[in-house]
Amino acid sequence: MRPTRPRRVGAAVVAVGIAGALAACGITIPSDVEGTLDAVTGGVLEVGVTPNPPYVDASEEQPTGSEVEVVTSFADSIGATVEWTEGSEQTLVGLLEAGEIDLVIGGLTDDTPWSDRVALTRAYAQAEQADGSSAGLVMLAPMGENAFLSALERHLDAEAQGER
Amino acid sequence: MSRTGRLELPEQQERLLRKARNLEWAVLAYTAVTITVVALVMGNSQAMQTAWVEDILSTLPQIAFLVALPIIRRKPTAKHPYGYHRAMGVGHLVAGVALLAVGANLCFEAISGLVKQEHPPIGTMQLFGMTIWQGWVMIAVMALIVIGPLIYGPMKMKLAKQLDNKLLYADAAMAKADWTTNAGSIVGVLGIGLGIWWLDGAAALFISASILWDGITNTRGSVLDLMDMRATTYDQKQPHPVHGRVDEVLRGLRWVHHAASRIRDEGQVFHVEAYVVPKRAKVKVSDLDRAVDDILALDWRVQDVSVSVVSQLDVPDEEEEREEQRGRGSP
Repeated sequence: MRPTRPRRVGAAVVAVGIAGALAACGITIPSDVEGTLDAVTGGVLEVGVTPNPPYVDASEEQPTGSEVEVVTSFADSIGATVEWTEGSEQTLVGLLEAGEIDLVIGGLTDDTPWSDRVALTRAYAQAEQADGSSAGLVMLAPMGENAFLSALERHLDAEAQGER
Repeated sequence: MSRTGRLELPEQQERLLRKARNLEWAVLAYTAVTITVVALVMGNSQAMQTAWVEDILSTLPQIAFLVALPIIRRKPTAKHPYGYHRAMGVGHLVAGVALLAVGANLCFEAISGLVKQEHPPIGTMQLFGMTIWQGWVMIAVMALIVIGPLIYGPMKMKLAKQLDNKLLYADAAMAKADWTTNAGSIVGVLGIGLGIWWLDGAAALFISASILWDGITNTRGSVLDLMDMRATTYDQKQPHPVHGRVDEVLRGLRWVHHAASRIRDEGQVFHVEAYVVPKRAKVKVSDLDRAVDDILALDWRVQDVSVSVVSQLDVPDEEEEREEQRGRGSP
């Protein structure tokens, strides 16, 4: 016997009810699997940097550049202090996967080959590449830390809006 | 004595077949839209990606039906004396094998994702100037798409039963179960949203298992038909009642001592081979003619009938039935 349509509608109502109950219990959607956003809020944001001027310039003691500024303002918005780790993309992606750092920047674009191993933010700006093509600038976040990723993307959107 | 019967189906069945064709086209158009929409919002949910592939695969039996439809109506030729009816079965087999292969592949991917503990990332997207979590958009789209199969699934099922068409029946059964894949992908995305990473992989596994199952049933069904299994009802669960009625008609004739028959299920129509042992050594051709007409009049699906006069019966079906009865008696 197949379930009747009213019963399916009933199931949908129950599903919505569960979602509502979860929200009432203080569970937020999206949530982080490892709780990154909770950990860095009011704490330390570990950021990996690969030198790539003008986005990231690591020639001074403290890194500078447009992406460094954006990350600093994001850290400020969640009351976090930033600790910088310099390294090659490969090293930093490995650290990101291991959960040692929370974010990687360095003028990366949305066609980065690391996309299987890390979560890319939505492209927050367009940049001209060495070969003259245009690509979207992204940052790398850990896989599955969706509350952190969403908070970062919201901040990037706000920054883009502010510039306009 | 034999006759290749009518080539055209009765008016009512012709109308139903046209209706089925129109419905399949309409559903194909609808599915093309849902495939496009889901592709736009799909993101990194494995469950959603699997459901998307399922949407694409669900068109295969429909395409097989639409491709086979004009072919099965071709008249028999010297090269193809039995006609082209098996085109429907061949299409069914191709669709079944495709489902089987892709289902197995998706199952493997879902399991390997779970074993590797892949945490699917879903970020935000901008919609009408607002930044919202993409998971909500995915869930909203899937909740809308869930409605489609609930409407056209039962419509297809009704036509499949009226037309007694196994390919249509398999397609309708898939469409009716389609809402579970969409609901499954909603569960997967919600799981990602709640930070329960494995729920997405588990939902993907559930969906790919249902594709695999569709592949098994479709392949099995089409192979059984192509292997000339006896004629069955559309769900292949029972022997088709026409078989018993053919034997009944022949055994009821005055000049017939004993009779048996075998039926080839050609998909939409039956080819009947009947054997009769006459009471006397001489048989009138007109009697035989009438017997063929009687069988043709039994059911619209009986299309091609030949009746042979033989001295003794050598059709396995009685023995088989007795075997079955014995099997049922002693479990």
